[in-house]
Amino acid sequence: MATQTATRSESDQTLEKKIQRLREVYATGPEVGKTALEKVLGELTSFASTARARVESAGRTGVRQGKVSELLFIAPFAPGGAARLRALLQLRDGSFDDTDRVGTVHDMRFVFLDNDTKLLFATAYDGEWDPYIDDFATKITDQMDVIFTACEGWPGIRSPKVKDWIVKHQIPAVGWYVAHPDLTVRDITG
Amino acid sequence: MGVITNDRSQHGVAAASDVQTTVEASDVQAIVLRPRPKPYVGEYVVLRIGDAGQGRQMVRRILPHVAPAEEWWVPSLPGWLGIAFTFEGLKALGVPQLSLDSFPVEFRQGMAARAEILHDWGANAPEHWEYPFGTADVHVALAIYGRNERDLQRVLDLARRAHDDLPQISVVYRMQFGELPEGRNPFGFKDGLHNPHVEGSGPRIRARSADQGRPSSFWAIPTRTRAGPGAGSSGSCATTVPSWPSASSTWMLPRFAATCGRRPRRRRKRSSWPPRWWAAGAAVRPLVLAPDRDNPELGSDRNRNNVFSYADDMKGLKCPFSAHIRRVNPRDALKDEVVAVNLHHFLRRGTNYGPPLPEGVLEDDGAERGGVFLLIGAHLKRQFEFIQSQWVTDGNFISHGTEQDPLIGNNDGDGDFTIPQRPARRRLHGLPRFVTVRGGEYCFIPGLRALRWLADLGSSSA
Repeated sequence: MATQTATRSESDQTLEKKIQRLREVYATGPEVGKTALEKVLGELTSFASTARARVESAGRTGVRQGKVSELLFIAPFAPGGAARLRALLQLRDGSFDDTDRVGTVHDMRFVFLDNDTKLLFATAYDGEWDPYIDDFATKITDQMDVIFTACEGWPGIRSPKVKDWIVKHQIPAVGWYVAHPDLTVRDITG
Repeated sequence: MGVITNDRSQHGVAAASDVQTTVEASDVQAIVLRPRPKPYVGEYVVLRIGDAGQGRQMVRRILPHVAPAEEWWVPSLPGWLGIAFTFEGLKALGVPQLSLDSFPVEFRQGMAARAEILHDWGANAPEHWEYPFGTADVHVALAIYGRNERDLQRVLDLARRAHDDLPQISVVYRMQFGELPEGRNPFGFKDGLHNPHVEGSGPRIRARSADQGRPSSFWAIPTRTRAGPGAGSSGSCATTVPSWPSASSTWMLPRFAATCGRRPRRRRKRSSWPPRWWAAGAAVRPLVLAPDRDNPELGSDRNRNNVFSYADDMKGLKCPFSAHIRRVNPRDALKDEVVAVNLHHFLRRGTNYGPPLPEGVLEDDGAERGGVFLLIGAHLKRQFEFIQSQWVTDGNFISHGTEQDPLIGNNDGDGDFTIPQRPARRRLHGLPRFVTVRGGEYCFIPGLRALRWLADLGSSSA
């Protein structure tokens, strides 16, 4: 009982510190934002105290909420890479049946940045990719390489350097929200 | 000496499948390739090395008694001795830092440090392990097997004489083990049914099981020479790191576990556990081959008991998806998935300890009994850690949510076990933790030439 009380007041303290910090940084921002903050702060505080799957680390980098993790990387295109990937994605036209086989990928987004010089790739997936990278290398080698050879320095999915390449370009999310954090792709599709 | 290749590659697999495999059986320890004798008795001995020189002296003396796999199908020894080292053990022997650094991170950290990844929490957490497991005092593991007590004592004596006048070598743990009647495990299931065959290791002693397309491509023996212990060293390192002259170094992962002796006495709520068929005696045959009734004759026929597939049981009606035998070796059950099952095999050299649970007894009788999961492979992460974290303690790969392996999962009275049935599946609730982990270590099993290299470490640089 005593422990619980201690933990409770500790988390209250942390919450108060977060609110204090929030007010400090908004104080120097635009007035509209500051006013808006005061209006939503009560609501925000009540969310923060409800138990929800918290955001935690997903393997080496990236974050996870419940069972669903995020991965985003930005990597420069190789010469001609943007044109190749654009043509490939146009042919696929949103069809990734081969990815369905992976059974853990919720979505994938390919965004071309800065006048087709960089690829932003973002995905939501279940669990961790790290344990499965060897399986990808064995079972969907070409499907992976045909996409990511568009990027500068892609070492190939079978290369021992591929994990380091991904991590090098990966940018972990600061915020991550999943509506149903405990539903995996397999839970949904059965 | 030694060919330098980047064996530490996470993707040796892809390359290995293109390589014709030959295993240099004279350089591989028998424990890797040779099935344990039948029946067997044995003992594990754990040593701590307090002085590098004495440690190397011990290795030098024990070397002549380490059995090579060469003559595994015509055993000529009274029993045999296998020797393996933890990372702490290699340090204690004075292995050069460059070599130590080249080992994979899993090995350098040790099993206890990987607890989070292995789901070793709750009662299985390393803080509850028995001494010396999970501490820096586990250096050398000896596995000694014999066909009978007399043979075992002869080999144990040889081992003892290798260090009994060396005060800095201490025995920190001993455990005796032996075979249970009918080759069962403490649960009553037939033990050791499915060991994959290592291509290039000698004649097949068992018929090929349906999942083993090209066994050489997946596992146990690195097909290329390890350069410098642990390798990963590029060619240039070869001049500074003495090369580890063995193609045959593998990983051994003993995991000591207590089993049904700890069946919980108290049940928080009434559950349907254990089910009737459990009480009636566990199976001694692969369920998928004889789903309706047990078949001891089939179970003991080595030409048949490992020849099965799940191709005609893709709905799990004969053998549940979540059954231990199907989880830890799904064979062709996941062939339509992205997972490459052949990457995730290991050799099973596990043993049992303690008396069998008497017929009809369902409650804890207080006796110590359990199993030692002695798994041998070439890649800690891809083999043991993958199976433990994805297939044993998670259920997502078979669309079973968080349902764990019913036998060796880390359930805490809240486990489920799903049995596909028509018209509706049956789900058992409230599964306890049947197996409690008492300790475990990641060990390295050097080939015989590598053992010589270890023994001579001091003398070459002195």
